[in-house]
Amino acid sequence: MVKLTIKPNDKMPWVEKYRPKSVNDMALPSARVGRQKVNIAEELRKFIVEFFIERIKINEKNKAIRIYNRTHEEKEQKEELKLAPEKAAVLLEGPPGVGKTTIAYALANDLNMEVIETNASDTRTKASLESKLSETTKSKGIMDFIVESKKKLILIDEVDGIYGVTDRGAVPTILKLIENTQFPIIMCSNEYKQSLQSLYTKIKKFEIESLTNDEMLKIAKKIVSKEKITGLSVSDLNLIIDKNHGDLRGVINDLQGISQGSFDKDNKDLILNLNRDNTEEIFSLVRDLFQKVNTLKEARALTNKSDVDYNFLYKWINENLTSFIRLNREIVNAYENLSLADEIFGRIKKNQYWSLLPYFYDLFAGGVVLSRKNRPPDESYHRIVFPRYTSSGFFSLNANEKSIVDKIQKKYVVSDIEAVQDFIPFLRSLCSSSRKLLGNVSDWFELDAKEKKLLKQE
Amino acid sequence: MLSEIPVWRIKYMPKTLDEVCGRDQIKERLKKAIHQRNFPHLLFVGENSIGKTTIANLFSKEFLGSLYDTNSKLVYSKVPLTEEETKQARSEAYVSQTKLGSLAGRSITTPAFIRVKIKPFVQLKVLGNAPFKILIVKNFDSLGFNQQAFRRLMEKYGTNCRMILITTKISRIIDPIMSRCQIFLISPAEFGSFRDLIERIAQKESLKIEQGVIEILYKISEGKISRAIDLLQLCSIGGEIVTSEMLYENSFNAKHDMVRALILMCFKGNFTKARELSRKIQTRYKFSSQELFQIMLIEMKKLPLSKYSRSKIINYIADADFRAIDGRDTDIQISNLIAKICSFSEVL
Repeated sequence: MVKLTIKPNDKMPWVEKYRPKSVNDMALPSARVGRQKVNIAEELRKFIVEFFIERIKINEKNKAIRIYNRTHEEKEQKEELKLAPEKAAVLLEGPPGVGKTTIAYALANDLNMEVIETNASDTRTKASLESKLSETTKSKGIMDFIVESKKKLILIDEVDGIYGVTDRGAVPTILKLIENTQFPIIMCSNEYKQSLQSLYTKIKKFEIESLTNDEMLKIAKKIVSKEKITGLSVSDLNLIIDKNHGDLRGVINDLQGISQGSFDKDNKDLILNLNRDNTEEIFSLVRDLFQKVNTLKEARALTNKSDVDYNFLYKWINENLTSFIRLNREIVNAYENLSLADEIFGRIKKNQYWSLLPYFYDLFAGGVVLSRKNRPPDESYHRIVFPRYTSSGFFSLNANEKSIVDKIQKKYVVSDIEAVQDFIPFLRSLCSSSRKLLGNVSDWFELDAKEKKLLKQE
Repeated sequence: MLSEIPVWRIKYMPKTLDEVCGRDQIKERLKKAIHQRNFPHLLFVGENSIGKTTIANLFSKEFLGSLYDTNSKLVYSKVPLTEEETKQARSEAYVSQTKLGSLAGRSITTPAFIRVKIKPFVQLKVLGNAPFKILIVKNFDSLGFNQQAFRRLMEKYGTNCRMILITTKISRIIDPIMSRCQIFLISPAEFGSFRDLIERIAQKESLKIEQGVIEILYKISEGKISRAIDLLQLCSIGGEIVTSEMLYENSFNAKHDMVRALILMCFKGNFTKARELSRKIQTRYKFSSQELFQIMLIEMKKLPLSKYSRSKIINYIADADFRAIDGRDTDIQISNLIAKICSFSEVL
């Protein structure tokens, strides 16, 4: 008989290969609860241990209640006890690649537990979540009667990847799960999400911060020596680490990518080409467009190469145009092209005239950038700003304005638009001339301090 | 709560149809309708802020009497739906079961505005012993295409609910709607009754008005009473005697002034500052690009410019306005116009 052997170190991605098996081997990220710094591994270990103690207590009490209910069926029934949600589940929130998933696995390994994981690759509708998790949480498996099985840890990874439409009913199911679970739940998420508000309020949240560069350098060095990579200096490693902004997984992936490529090229170039940062890309793209491009062809090549959405890109150009192009006659040419591009884009979207798209591309990039006749050869560094002003084209009020308009409408019949365009400006000029009137007006409309301020501003 | 209303415009709002300033003919016709307890659908046409809505409101109040609160509704068609309302409209869309071919299984929606704001009110039965309900729709012209939906609504639910449609421009109302309505052309208040009203207010507020000032006030406010009263109140802060100088001093139109400042800024040739200002105007007054260009056109005509440059700038504004119709980003189109005027000012 041929014995199958799996050689784990051959084809595995390094991220898996170097994933620590125990918490003690890990580079622990720093974590906070609210403002307080905590040791994440200790806290999680405590959470899991306490969970099982509490769970057993509650289970026994529930057993008693169930017996009572069965024997006193005609009388008032007692309700079964439930575990407090913050004792049943925790949320780890932090940037990608700092080790949220890893710490859960490492802990499970340390405590000899089995991990049941769902992540964003599974569809997480109510039905599929229930079939995967509810069975394991509520009852013991068949095998449990024969052999005492491992305890389990439920890991719901990438919670923020739950989408409203495809994962319908996921959040209520998770909430129900938290109430009834027989095993501790750890959830991981990258960022705050409005739709998960009902989850956040119930459970304890650990905010995990990115790793420091020193820690990452230590690990990177270890990997380099283990994999016997030559030709990477410490400064190269530092460059990689800098680029990844505390994302250890990114660093390890980059290392693997570089070591597998050839070393003919300059290392620095190679590293810089491995870019994950989208906003950084848009900044440099806008800068390059204005400062490096000399021909239409170059502009086209630059916009084609980047994967920045052109929906955005031309708004960025609109915002940053004036910091590069200063002369009025050049601004005119630039805007002539940009506004035509905008019109064309509108027509494309409206009537599906996709054959017009080439004009749009050439006008908003090349057309704008090349409207400058003479470009100073060595231009200084310009700050690129976000498109601050986005006009939707529709009438909309911000929260402050909305509240003041609502209060005015209670007393005086006027539409939102009339209020903003006519009535509030009049009140403003009325109130600017006398403080007493300001008081009277705000008293009569029952305005609060914030809204009063809105009347005062010029 | 204060017993005194601090804003005169609200303080001197007419409480009954009789108190409405001037326009006796219209009042008479409306009163006849109240007397007969019946009227067809009405269409009120007239300039903005001369009191169309006030008249419509008071009329329905007097017509319905104590049942006014439950049986009437005022709808602003220009104000876009809130998020909740669009959600509601979407949820109420139903799937057709009778359509064949490519239309089979399509969800059918009437325009969200009509579905959410009009239909539920129109379909509901009259409460109490009122003859019918009254629906007032403001800015009816801005409905555009959705006016078509009113054709059937007006016929189908006409016995249950009468509509008073209010518009500034009769040319933008489609013919079938016009043929279903009795049209009221509402003019600004006549000078005689205007003078009486102003004198009455002055007496109550113990203001003295110099001779001939009321004529000027009438001219400045273009017969729009709410504006005239606003102006009077602004003057009253300065002193007890209202003179013509004070009137001119206070007679400003904040939004128009800001737009004029924008044009002047453009003539100075400073593009970045002008753009800042245009963004400020837009965030404060929530103009659509069309509205802004219109005001720019009006203000530009007031400026002392040569024939040549005036026609040139009209050309620019028209071009920008034209592009903004299809364009997706109004800021770009407005910036385009500003840039053009800036560079034109350098040539001058």
